[in-house]
Amino acid sequence: MNEIPVVLFLWAGACLFATGFSMLLLKRNAIFVLMGIELMLNAANLNLIAFSRSDAANRGLLLGIFVLVVGVCEMAVALALVIQAYRQFQHIDLDRFKSRN
Amino acid sequence: MTPLILSFLALVLITCGSALVMLWTKHILHAALAMFMTMLGLAGLYVLAYADVMAVSHLVIYVGGVLILILFGIMLTNQKGRGGQEKNELVTEESSRAWPLFIGLLVFSGLVFILSRGNFGGIEIADPNSKLGFVGVSLLTEYALPFELVGIYLLIALIGATYIAKQHE
Repeated sequence: MNEIPVVLFLWAGACLFATGFSMLLLKRNAIFVLMGIELMLNAANLNLIAFSRSDAANRGLLLGIFVLVVGVCEMAVALALVIQAYRQFQHIDLDRFKSRN
Repeated sequence: MTPLILSFLALVLITCGSALVMLWTKHILHAALAMFMTMLGLAGLYVLAYADVMAVSHLVIYVGGVLILILFGIMLTNQKGRGGQEKNELVTEESSRAWPLFIGLLVFSGLVFILSRGNFGGIEIADPNSKLGFVGVSLLTEYALPFELVGIYLLIALIGATYIAKQHE
Protein backbone atom coordinates (compact mmCIF):
# COMPACT_ATOMS: atom_id res chain seq x y z
CA MET A 1 0.00 0.00 0.00
CA ASN A 2 2.04 2.94 -1.21
CA GLU A 3 -0.82 5.11 -2.43
CA ILE A 4 -1.66 8.44 -0.85
CA PRO A 5 -4.69 8.04 1.45
CA VAL A 6 -7.63 10.11 0.29
CA VAL A 7 -8.06 11.68 3.71
CA LEU A 8 -4.75 13.55 3.28
CA PHE A 9 -6.18 15.31 0.25
CA LEU A 10 -9.27 16.14 2.27
CA TRP A 11 -7.14 17.60 5.06
CA ALA A 12 -5.23 19.77 2.59
CA GLY A 13 -8.57 20.91 1.18
CA ALA A 14 -9.80 21.72 4.69
CA CYS A 15 -6.68 23.81 5.34
CA LEU A 16 -7.18 25.75 2.09
CA PHE A 17 -10.87 26.25 2.81
CA ALA A 18 -10.25 27.54 6.34
CA THR A 19 -7.54 29.89 5.07
CA GLY A 20 -9.83 31.28 2.39
CA PHE A 21 -12.63 31.70 4.91
CA SER A 22 -10.38 33.61 7.30
CA MET A 23 -9.23 35.84 4.43
CA LEU A 24 -12.88 36.56 3.68
CA LEU A 25 -13.41 37.70 7.26
CA LEU A 26 -10.07 39.39 7.84
CA LYS A 27 -9.35 41.52 4.79
CA ARG A 28 -11.03 44.77 3.88
CA ASN A 29 -9.58 45.13 0.40
CA ALA A 30 -12.07 43.72 -2.13
CA ILE A 31 -9.38 42.04 -4.23
CA PHE A 32 -8.05 40.22 -1.17
CA VAL A 33 -11.57 38.99 -0.45
CA LEU A 34 -11.86 37.72 -4.03
CA MET A 35 -8.59 35.81 -3.60
CA GLY A 36 -10.08 34.20 -0.48
CA ILE A 37 -13.14 33.13 -2.44
CA GLU A 38 -10.87 31.60 -5.10
CA LEU A 39 -9.04 29.63 -2.40
CA MET A 40 -12.32 28.24 -1.07
CA LEU A 41 -13.41 27.27 -4.58
CA ASN A 42 -10.13 25.48 -5.21
CA ALA A 43 -10.39 23.63 -1.89
CA ALA A 44 -13.75 22.24 -2.97
CA ASN A 45 -12.27 21.35 -6.35
CA LEU A 46 -9.41 19.46 -4.69
CA ASN A 47 -11.94 17.28 -2.87
CA LEU A 48 -13.73 16.52 -6.14
CA ILE A 49 -10.47 15.49 -7.80
CA ALA A 50 -9.38 13.42 -4.81
CA PHE A 51 -12.56 11.36 -4.88
CA SER A 52 -12.58 11.16 -8.66
CA ARG A 53 -9.33 9.17 -8.32
CA SER A 54 -11.29 6.09 -7.31
CA ASP A 55 -14.17 6.51 -9.77
CA ALA A 56 -13.86 4.62 -13.03
CA ALA A 57 -16.17 7.10 -14.80
CA ASN A 58 -14.13 10.13 -13.59
CA ARG A 59 -17.24 12.21 -12.88
CA GLY A 60 -15.48 14.31 -10.26
CA LEU A 61 -12.76 15.25 -12.75
CA LEU A 62 -15.29 16.44 -15.34
CA LEU A 63 -17.28 18.37 -12.75
CA GLY A 64 -13.99 19.92 -11.60
CA ILE A 65 -13.30 21.22 -15.10
CA PHE A 66 -16.72 22.88 -15.19
CA VAL A 67 -16.15 24.34 -11.72
CA LEU A 68 -12.89 25.84 -13.04
CA VAL A 69 -14.76 27.67 -15.82
CA VAL A 70 -17.40 28.94 -13.41
CA GLY A 71 -14.63 30.23 -11.14
CA VAL A 72 -13.05 32.15 -14.00
CA CYS A 73 -16.41 33.72 -14.95
CA GLU A 74 -16.99 34.75 -11.35
CA MET A 75 -13.53 36.30 -11.15
CA ALA A 76 -13.96 38.30 -14.38
CA VAL A 77 -17.33 39.76 -13.39
CA ALA A 78 -16.23 40.41 -9.81
CA LEU A 79 -13.11 42.29 -10.90
CA ALA A 80 -15.19 44.39 -13.29
CA LEU A 81 -17.46 45.24 -10.36
CA VAL A 82 -14.43 46.10 -8.21
CA ILE A 83 -13.10 48.45 -10.88
CA GLN A 84 -16.50 50.12 -11.22
CA ALA A 85 -16.72 50.48 -7.43
CA TYR A 86 -13.28 52.09 -7.45
CA ARG A 87 -14.51 54.63 -9.99
CA GLN A 88 -17.50 55.43 -7.78
CA PHE A 89 -15.82 55.62 -4.39
CA GLN A 90 -12.07 56.09 -5.14
CA HIS A 91 -11.30 53.16 -2.81
CA ILE A 92 -12.19 49.47 -2.54
CA ASP A 93 -12.37 49.04 1.22
CA LEU A 94 -15.43 46.95 1.85
CA ASP A 95 -16.01 48.48 5.28
CA ARG A 96 -16.20 52.01 3.91
CA PHE A 97 -18.73 51.54 1.12
CA LYS A 98 -21.75 53.72 1.73
CA SER A 99 -24.77 54.32 -0.47
CA ARG A 100 -25.15 57.86 -1.69
CA ASN A 101 -28.67 59.21 -1.47
CA MET B 1 7.41 7.08 3.91
CA THR B 2 7.38 6.37 0.23
CA PRO B 3 8.59 9.00 -2.26
CA LEU B 4 4.96 9.53 -3.28
CA ILE B 5 3.94 10.53 0.23
CA LEU B 6 7.04 12.70 0.62
CA SER B 7 6.34 14.61 -2.58
CA PHE B 8 2.71 14.94 -1.51
CA LEU B 9 3.79 16.46 1.80
CA ALA B 10 6.17 18.87 0.06
CA LEU B 11 3.40 20.02 -2.28
CA VAL B 12 0.96 20.43 0.61
CA LEU B 13 3.60 22.48 2.40
CA ILE B 14 3.94 24.76 -0.64
CA THR B 15 0.18 25.05 -1.13
CA CYS B 16 -0.95 25.60 2.42
CA GLY B 17 2.14 27.64 3.35
CA SER B 18 1.54 30.06 0.49
CA ALA B 19 -2.15 30.22 1.36
CA LEU B 20 -1.20 31.17 4.91
CA VAL B 21 1.22 33.78 3.54
CA MET B 22 -1.71 35.19 1.56
CA LEU B 23 -3.69 35.33 4.77
CA TRP B 24 -0.88 36.89 6.77
CA THR B 25 0.57 39.55 4.48
CA LYS B 26 -0.86 43.01 4.05
CA HIS B 27 0.97 43.70 0.79
CA ILE B 28 -1.37 42.83 -2.02
CA LEU B 29 1.40 42.15 -4.53
CA HIS B 30 3.01 39.69 -2.13
CA ALA B 31 -0.39 38.04 -1.86
CA ALA B 32 -0.59 37.76 -5.65
CA LEU B 33 2.84 36.09 -5.69
CA ALA B 34 1.77 33.74 -2.90
CA MET B 35 -1.37 32.93 -4.88
CA PHE B 36 0.87 31.94 -7.79
CA MET B 37 2.71 29.51 -5.53
CA THR B 38 -0.58 28.18 -4.18
CA MET B 39 -1.86 27.47 -7.67
CA LEU B 40 1.42 25.80 -8.59
CA GLY B 41 1.20 23.53 -5.54
CA LEU B 42 -2.43 22.74 -6.28
CA ALA B 43 -1.54 21.69 -9.82
CA GLY B 44 1.07 19.36 -8.31
CA LEU B 45 -1.56 17.91 -5.98
CA TYR B 46 -3.82 17.28 -8.98
CA VAL B 47 -0.98 15.41 -10.67
CA LEU B 48 -0.57 13.25 -7.57
CA ALA B 49 -4.33 12.56 -7.69
CA TYR B 50 -3.85 11.18 -11.23
CA ALA B 51 -5.74 14.10 -12.81
CA ASP B 52 -3.13 15.39 -15.26
CA VAL B 53 -5.69 17.14 -17.49
CA MET B 54 -6.98 19.04 -14.50
CA ALA B 55 -3.45 20.04 -13.46
CA VAL B 56 -2.58 21.46 -16.86
CA SER B 57 -5.88 23.30 -17.32
CA HIS B 58 -5.65 24.62 -13.78
CA LEU B 59 -2.19 26.01 -14.44
CA VAL B 60 -3.21 27.57 -17.76
CA ILE B 61 -6.42 29.09 -16.41
CA TYR B 62 -5.27 30.27 -12.99
CA VAL B 63 -1.68 31.32 -13.60
CA GLY B 64 -2.29 32.54 -17.14
CA GLY B 65 -5.78 33.96 -16.72
CA VAL B 66 -7.03 34.68 -13.24
CA LEU B 67 -3.73 35.86 -11.80
CA ILE B 68 -3.24 38.30 -14.69
CA LEU B 69 -6.79 39.55 -14.14
CA ILE B 70 -6.03 40.06 -10.46
CA LEU B 71 -2.82 41.93 -11.27
CA PHE B 72 -4.78 44.18 -13.61
CA GLY B 73 -7.31 44.74 -10.84
CA ILE B 74 -4.54 45.65 -8.40
CA MET B 75 -3.01 48.02 -10.95
CA LEU B 76 -6.28 49.78 -11.75
CA THR B 77 -7.38 50.17 -8.14
CA ASN B 78 -4.08 51.34 -6.74
CA GLN B 79 -4.77 53.86 -3.98
CA LYS B 80 -2.14 56.52 -3.75
CA GLY B 81 -0.98 58.09 -0.55
CA ARG B 82 -1.60 55.08 1.65
CA GLY B 83 0.99 53.17 3.62
CA GLY B 84 4.43 52.60 2.13
CA GLN B 85 5.75 54.99 -0.47
CA GLU B 86 7.88 52.51 -2.34
CA LYS B 87 6.80 51.43 -5.81
CA ASN B 88 5.67 47.91 -4.98
CA GLU B 89 4.45 48.55 -1.47
CA LEU B 90 0.71 48.36 -1.86
CA VAL B 91 -0.36 48.03 1.74
CA THR B 92 -4.00 47.27 2.41
CA GLU B 93 -6.07 47.58 5.53
CA GLU B 94 -7.57 44.72 7.47
CA SER B 95 -9.84 44.15 10.42
CA SER B 96 -8.56 43.01 13.79
CA ARG B 97 -6.81 39.70 13.41
CA ALA B 98 -7.93 37.71 16.45
CA TRP B 99 -11.51 36.83 15.55
CA PRO B 100 -11.05 35.85 11.87
CA LEU B 101 -8.03 33.69 12.67
CA PHE B 102 -9.89 32.06 15.56
CA ILE B 103 -12.92 31.33 13.38
CA GLY B 104 -10.69 29.98 10.61
CA LEU B 105 -8.92 27.71 13.09
CA LEU B 106 -12.30 26.55 14.36
CA VAL B 107 -13.47 25.75 10.81
CA PHE B 108 -10.23 23.89 10.09
CA SER B 109 -10.29 21.81 13.26
CA GLY B 110 -14.00 21.07 12.80
CA LEU B 111 -13.43 19.89 9.23
CA VAL B 112 -10.43 17.76 10.23
CA PHE B 113 -12.43 16.26 13.11
CA ILE B 114 -15.35 15.38 10.83
CA LEU B 115 -13.09 14.01 8.09
CA SER B 116 -11.10 11.91 10.57
CA ARG B 117 -14.28 10.18 11.70
CA GLY B 118 -15.11 9.11 8.15
CA ASN B 119 -14.20 5.68 6.88
CA PHE B 120 -12.29 5.92 3.61
CA GLY B 121 -10.71 2.50 3.97
CA GLY B 122 -11.88 0.45 1.03
CA ILE B 123 -11.36 3.03 -1.69
CA GLU B 124 -9.11 1.79 -4.48
CA ILE B 125 -7.46 3.72 -7.27
CA ALA B 126 -9.51 3.11 -10.40
CA ASP B 127 -7.11 4.07 -13.17
CA PRO B 128 -3.64 5.54 -12.61
CA ASN B 129 -3.08 6.32 -16.32
CA SER B 130 -3.46 9.61 -18.14
CA LYS B 131 -7.04 10.76 -18.55
CA LEU B 132 -6.51 13.16 -21.46
CA GLY B 133 -8.17 10.98 -24.09
CA PHE B 134 -11.01 10.08 -21.78
CA VAL B 135 -11.77 13.70 -20.94
CA GLY B 136 -11.55 14.77 -24.58
CA VAL B 137 -13.97 12.07 -25.74
CA SER B 138 -16.36 12.63 -22.82
CA LEU B 139 -16.55 16.38 -23.36
CA LEU B 140 -17.62 15.90 -26.96
CA THR B 141 -20.01 12.97 -26.44
CA GLU B 142 -21.57 12.38 -23.06
CA TYR B 143 -20.96 15.86 -21.68
CA ALA B 144 -21.46 17.80 -24.92
CA LEU B 145 -24.48 19.74 -23.67
CA PRO B 146 -22.89 20.97 -20.41
CA PHE B 147 -19.75 21.79 -22.40
CA GLU B 148 -21.69 24.01 -24.80
CA LEU B 149 -23.66 25.55 -21.95
CA VAL B 150 -20.52 26.40 -20.04
CA GLY B 151 -19.12 27.98 -23.22
CA ILE B 152 -22.20 30.19 -23.55
CA TYR B 153 -21.95 31.00 -19.85
CA LEU B 154 -18.33 32.06 -20.30
CA LEU B 155 -19.30 34.25 -23.27
CA ILE B 156 -22.10 35.90 -21.29
CA ALA B 157 -19.79 36.48 -18.33
CA LEU B 158 -17.07 38.06 -20.48
CA ILE B 159 -19.51 40.35 -22.32
CA GLY B 160 -21.09 41.27 -18.99
CA ALA B 161 -17.69 41.99 -17.46
CA THR B 162 -16.65 44.29 -20.30
CA TYR B 163 -20.01 46.06 -20.10
CA ILE B 164 -19.79 46.51 -16.33
CA ALA B 165 -16.19 47.73 -16.46
CA LYS B 166 -16.83 50.32 -19.16
CA GLN B 167 -16.99 53.99 -18.27
CA HIS B 168 -20.66 54.79 -17.67
CA GLU B 169 -21.80 58.37 -17.88
